[in-house]
Amino acid sequence: MMLTESPIRRLDAKAPGLAEELKRDLDIDITRCLECGKCSGGCSYAHGFDYTPRKMVQLIKLEERGKLLRMRALWTCLSCQLCLDRCPSSIDMPRILDYLRGKAYAERLNDVHPEIEKFYEIMLSDIRNNGRISETLMMARFNFATRRYFSNADLGMKLFFKGKLKLFGPKTKNLNSLRALFAKLLFRSPAEQEPS
Amino acid sequence: MSEKATALIIGGGIAGMEAALKLGQGGYRAVLAEKDHSLGGTVSKLCSSFPRWEDPQDLLRLKEQQLQSLETISILRDTEITGIEKKKGTFHATWKNSSGEEGALNAQAVIVATGFDLFDASIYGEYGYGIYPGVVNSLEFEQVLKDHTDGKAALPRNIAFFKCVGSRDRSKGHPYCSKICCMYTAKQAGTAKNLSPESKCYVFYMDYRAAGKEYEEFVRSVIEEKQVRYVRGRPSKVVMEKGQLLVRFEDTLIGAPMEVAVDMVVLASAVIPKPATRRLAEMLGLKTDEYGFIEAEYGSAVKAQENIFFAGGCGFAVETIGASAQGAAAAAEVMALFNKGGKP
Ligand SMILES: Cc1cc2nc3c(=O)[nH]c(=O)nc-3n(C[C@H](O)[C@H](O)[C@H](O)COP(=O)(O)OP(=O)(O)OC[C@H]3O[C@@H](n4cnc5c(N)ncnc54)[C@H](O)[C@@H]3O)c2cc1C
Ligand code: SF4
Ligand code: SF4
Ligand code: SF4
Repeated sequence: MMLTESPIRRLDAKAPGLAEELKRDLDIDITRCLECGKCSGGCSYAHGFDYTPRKMVQLIKLEERGKLLRMRALWTCLSCQLCLDRCPSSIDMPRILDYLRGKAYAERLNDVHPEIEKFYEIMLSDIRNNGRISETLMMARFNFATRRYFSNADLGMKLFFKGKLKLFGPKTKNLNSLRALFAKLLFRSPAEQEPS
Repeated sequence: MSEKATALIIGGGIAGMEAALKLGQGGYRAVLAEKDHSLGGTVSKLCSSFPRWEDPQDLLRLKEQQLQSLETISILRDTEITGIEKKKGTFHATWKNSSGEEGALNAQAVIVATGFDLFDASIYGEYGYGIYPGVVNSLEFEQVLKDHTDGKAALPRNIAFFKCVGSRDRSKGHPYCSKICCMYTAKQAGTAKNLSPESKCYVFYMDYRAAGKEYEEFVRSVIEEKQVRYVRGRPSKVVMEKGQLLVRFEDTLIGAPMEVAVDMVVLASAVIPKPATRRLAEMLGLKTDEYGFIEAEYGSAVKAQENIFFAGGCGFAVETIGASAQGAAAAAEVMALFNKGGKP
């Protein structure tokens, strides 16, 4: 007789210790987490996350590596550091997320959210070509690439009339040193491969 | 020891009062020095009390009456003990009173009962203490409650209570739990609902600690009967919005960031040692823990050193009944010392 898999999530006692890995590689001790949620209530974008920072810590404790590497919040976190600043135990969540993004790239899980991947790609190529970003052009290219021709248009117009968006992006003077920087990065880390 | 042996009790809060009371009732001599004019310390500033909704001023009146009738107890009000040293078994203390007079006195035993302070919550920029007038600490809120009871100023309508402010925080505060704030926050929110039933009170908590006789029942009655809302999550920040205080937090039970607008925020600030306690401990060579609370000798709850005892908040956060019990225990130690071998 075949045993059907239980629909109830089961803790895997044999899972490799993600908490131990973070301790070893980053010297971050998530056992200090008080499960208080102070990180999440103040997070710049937790209302748009699939997992709030407190839940991310919990995912680490539960060895939910797959969920962590596939979650949208991994790519939508703004690295604003507010969670770290507020945390009573100084748990460096932005650093943990950096680390996990590296893992996600290494395991080629970076494009499980194609539109987010596209956004990064467009942004990076803008930086590479001009040294800076033109928000207007970037937004347009992003909407075009993801076929959401009118999304964000409202917000875009508002920003434009407030003088926040410039139609033509500024260029950086010293593009050569920037190219050198990219070359070095691309050479050193397979995680930052050239967008195809 | 000679019949004239005297104990010096430093601090006339509930702990020092109880120590003086027991010594006096036993016929022993003691000087009770209190920096302020009135006795009672922090308890004299409280509007109500856990775990029985009694008026804390009734308790102080009773204790003070009892003290007044004792011939061997002298009470020095407005008198701060500014220095102390031990020479050949006798303590020589210096004092200064509020009119600037100074003096000295001798004693054969000392009970330190200098109490505690509250952590300065302005260290948390995100909570706006010291910036927004509607953000107060827990002791200031006792005064808000008193003002309402006395008809001086009406209670704000909706109130948020933040627990563990400066406690259980190793980044900006202290890692320890301040022990009394879960209970007095329940009391304060319950009192606010009593005084103004149409108000909404939210208590933000990580967990609530109610380990004491009748404590759990007390907190449950605040939630179930007084209808105080307990919200699980440590608030992240307070911002001003249209003249109201907007509290941002994650409800950690549903796991969503949320906000609520209130008229007042009450911060349950951590219990910390008084600077006066540190100074006295230094002068007497007493052992203190890493924060500055007095440490007990192994095997005793209230003995700090040969002939030196302590009681109440100068040792650690403690509720009124515990402070009294320690005061009585310190008095028992002094009696044992002064009456070595027993009177014939
Ligand atoms: C907001 C709040 C609400 C509370 N509510 C409750 C409650 O409902 N129920 C309850 O059981 N407990 C409550 N407590 C706890 C209660 O206040 C303490 O248990 C109690 O105050 C401890 O008494 P104590 O004598 O140790 O210290 P304190 O009350 O701090 O008294 C110490 C005294 O020593 C004096 N002193 C200090 N240094 C010197 C010096 N060098 N010379 C002379 N005098 C000096 C001070 O002036 C002070 O009067 C509450 C505490 C707070 C902060
Ligand atoms: S760094 Fe990321 S997770 Fe932390 S508060 Fe900012 S957006 Fe939120
Ligand atoms: S703020 Fe820090 S301690 Fe609190 S839940 Fe977040 S990570 Fe854990
Ligand atoms: S007694 Fe309660 S509110 Fe005070 S520090 Fe401990 S857990 Fe926090």
